[in-house]
Amino acid sequence: MKVTWKLPDGGEIAADVKDGINMMEAAVANNVPNVIGECGGNLSCATCHVYVDPDWMGKTGAADEFEDAMLDVAEAPRQDNSRLSCQITASADLDGLVLIVPEV
Amino acid sequence: MTVWTPTDDGFADLTSHDTFVNGAPHNTFARLRRDDPVHWTDWDGGEGFWSITRHADISEMNRQPQVFSSARGIRMEDQTYEEYLARRTFQETDPPEHMMTRIKVAKAFSKPVIAEFENDIRKLCDDILDVALQKGAFDATKDIARQLPMQMLGRILGLPEEDLPWLVEKGDALIANTDPDFTDHVLDKMTTDEFRMMPFNSPAGAELYSYAKDLMARKDAAGDTSGVLHLILQPAKDGSVITEEEFRNFFCLLVAAGNDTTRYSIAAGIQAMCHQPELLGQMQSEDIWDTAPDEIIRWATPAIYFRRTATQDVEMHGKTIREGDKVLYWWSSANRDDTVFDDPFRVNLKRTPNKHLSFGQGGPHVCLGMWLARLEVRVLFQELAKRITSIEANGPHKFLRSNFVGGIKELPVKVVAK
Ligand code: HEM
Repeated sequence: MKVTWKLPDGGEIAADVKDGINMMEAAVANNVPNVIGECGGNLSCATCHVYVDPDWMGKTGAADEFEDAMLDVAEAPRQDNSRLSCQITASADLDGLVLIVPEV
Repeated sequence: MTVWTPTDDGFADLTSHDTFVNGAPHNTFARLRRDDPVHWTDWDGGEGFWSITRHADISEMNRQPQVFSSARGIRMEDQTYEEYLARRTFQETDPPEHMMTRIKVAKAFSKPVIAEFENDIRKLCDDILDVALQKGAFDATKDIARQLPMQMLGRILGLPEEDLPWLVEKGDALIANTDPDFTDHVLDKMTTDEFRMMPFNSPAGAELYSYAKDLMARKDAAGDTSGVLHLILQPAKDGSVITEEEFRNFFCLLVAAGNDTTRYSIAAGIQAMCHQPELLGQMQSEDIWDTAPDEIIRWATPAIYFRRTATQDVEMHGKTIREGDKVLYWWSSANRDDTVFDDPFRVNLKRTPNKHLSFGQGGPHVCLGMWLARLEVRVLFQELAKRITSIEANGPHKFLRSNFVGGIKELPVKVVAK
């Protein structure tokens, strides 16, 4: 699948991501700034917080209760489209996904 | 030029605390990374264990708590199920149970909440440095590094000021329980089972237990809902409430984890300034503060290893780790892995990226206090650099006798204050 990160400075990073890889791992592999993933995708740190482009919110689904609690811990302000990107996994139906990287 | 050249013969005994009195045995770690990355050690003090020394392997394993569990002990020493139950903190649980506790305290230690304490930290640093620097020559571990972390933790927890010196002392006895300078009950030299059920196998743990209990009662009576301690008494999402035992263990964990790790990061940073004189100038005039704290903490690696236990057989680099085997992640080795860090024995305050593992990054147990530690280190060195024109060693430094906590316990320095 293809994913695009929109950066706070107006730039963009796009990459092809294999199915099964999560968006935190993909961001780290593609040097996307501000997406760190200190806990290795284990829902313990909130350093992979992103905003999902509103057009994609239906497809990415909602945060579960743990993710929901951890979103309160994120550095950038929480919004309705906030997600921890380690909890979004690449799959064919997310092809074209757009994620907005918060300013931190 | 390297700052410090390891002197071990490449075959150091990792089970011996004495091995570490000259610093971590990095020649041994380098050999293991190269020749034997999944290394078995037989041990007369308990079951043998596997040592994982490469950065890449530790990173890959640490993110799989279902395969490498924290729930059967996190130190080299074996523990029975009864000991585990008596002493455990959420650091000794696996997801999803781990998460149930961690979310209760995560907010209080999050980057934005911790950032609010910057002015407090600066004020504390002012006071500490004013006293120390006017001496000219002093022990930097004792007079600078030892002071800040506990005072700061006390603030975050909402503890009474007058209790802090006592807590520093108990925290020391708790964690440095293998160094006779810090405790009368040197762990590996004891013959009785008396302390085995106590947190960190230490009578100081028992004293901290009862302190925590009294503290809670006092706070409840006063209706005081400030600070982290109150937060973790809130019911979890499923309605469960932390037990008294869990709470006391968590309090001990904070005292232990928040105390000397940060202290020894500060000490290692000051040691580096003595050996790499260019660092002071960089701190005074260059834009290094986004990267310097992590580099200082990489250099320090105060937590030398943590342990996991395999929950299934795993093949790795030609070895078979069996279900039930103890597996040690040597952060200290990973942080000098030259496949990840250029010139790893040199402090480079601008190192980017800096994928050090001092905080156990890459796993669910990644340090809860990392934002606090980074902030304390940044502010302390900013304030120190502002106030001096030179700093140099004033005699040899001494490391702690411990294969678990890496730290310079004596660091004589001479400074010229501005
Ligand atoms: C430079 C200073 C510090 C270092 C190097 C450090 C190191 C670590 C490491 C390596 C772990 C992970 C252990 C594992 O994977 O099993 C950890 C966990 C932890 N640290 Fe720190 N720490 C530091 C400062 C602090 C501070 C200031 C606090 C609290 C005020 C703290 C509280 C904790 C807690 C509660 C955990 C357990 C987290 C969990 O299991 O989810 N640490 N720390």
